[in-house]
Amino acid sequence: MELDDLKNDWESATNKAHKQNILTSKMIIKMTQKKYESKIRKIKYPELTGGIICILGLSFIVFNFNKLDTPFLQSISVVTIFLLLIIPALSYLSVISFPSANNFDKPYIDIIQNFAKQKLRFSKYQKVNAFLNYLLLVTIIILLPKFFSGKDITFAKSFWLFAFPIGYIFLIFFSKRVKKYYNNSLTQAGELLKEVEIYHK
Amino acid sequence: MGKKDLFIKSIQENERLIYKVAAFYTDCQDDRDDLVQEIIYTLWKSFETFKQNAALSTWMYRVAMNVAIFHLKKGKRNINTVPINSEILNFSETNNDDFNEKMLTLQKHIRNLNLFDKGILMLYLESKSHEEIAEIVGISRSNVGTKLSRIKDKLKQEIFK
Repeated sequence: MELDDLKNDWESATNKAHKQNILTSKMIIKMTQKKYESKIRKIKYPELTGGIICILGLSFIVFNFNKLDTPFLQSISVVTIFLLLIIPALSYLSVISFPSANNFDKPYIDIIQNFAKQKLRFSKYQKVNAFLNYLLLVTIIILLPKFFSGKDITFAKSFWLFAFPIGYIFLIFFSKRVKKYYNNSLTQAGELLKEVEIYHK
Repeated sequence: MGKKDLFIKSIQENERLIYKVAAFYTDCQDDRDDLVQEIIYTLWKSFETFKQNAALSTWMYRVAMNVAIFHLKKGKRNINTVPINSEILNFSETNNDDFNEKMLTLQKHIRNLNLFDKGILMLYLESKSHEEIAEIVGISRSNVGTKLSRIKDKLKQEIFK
């Protein structure tokens, strides 16, 4: 198939499909309003929910800090607090650079460049975030028994005997998947960026 | 004429353009409808920035294609759109099978093209001149020619793979 055949197919398909005017004034106004409302919801809820969960977790640790009676558990709780602060901040940073509506009238190549850079940044942030989330899981597992049943599992031999090998296997499996997923994304974005930079005026 | 009326008139005069960009960048009806509405919303938001010295359609192509890039990034999610009455939408009428079949063939061919190539191909299929493509995409006229011949080669490789 040549480009011209593709062009003929495209013309005939789109011309047949769109013969008359579809959009009435009422529909255009309704669409704009509905999109505006859904944008407000989208910005508010996911960010807010994640932030609230982290603040709740953080407050719980701070208010129950006195239950942690060993320097090891206290250090783990400080690390957990730090993670609960940094993880939502990183998630937020990875998504904020969406271009505003005023920038969408820039040349297509500028927006692709912006898109590829953002994708690269997002993938890097997500890689770090995935590792930090794993770390958070470990610190929470250590802290929870102490908070809810007063047990300090740092002295339980059986916990370390099983937790370490299982955790290690999980970490290998988990990091391989994360690496594979985000490396593909990084490669594609990197290639796109390289090509765009060659043609950029 | 007020801003709102002018905007509505501009959309109605160029709605084919919006639907075509949406059809090119998506592969199902729900995504297509959502992208159409996202494009109209962004056009409204950036309507103030439209400078009369550029053609309205050139500005609309830019905005529509740029919105499509970021729309793809969002992936599958809950789609919140105004229901479009299928009786007034010719996409869903008797030509639907033919349209969908041709769109599927097209999608199959362009699936492996990157966003840069896709944008240039879309404008070529829309019968835009090299000059217009250069203005919308933001590259030189000679680069449009180079790019198009490379896209042609890529598509050939894709078809004979």
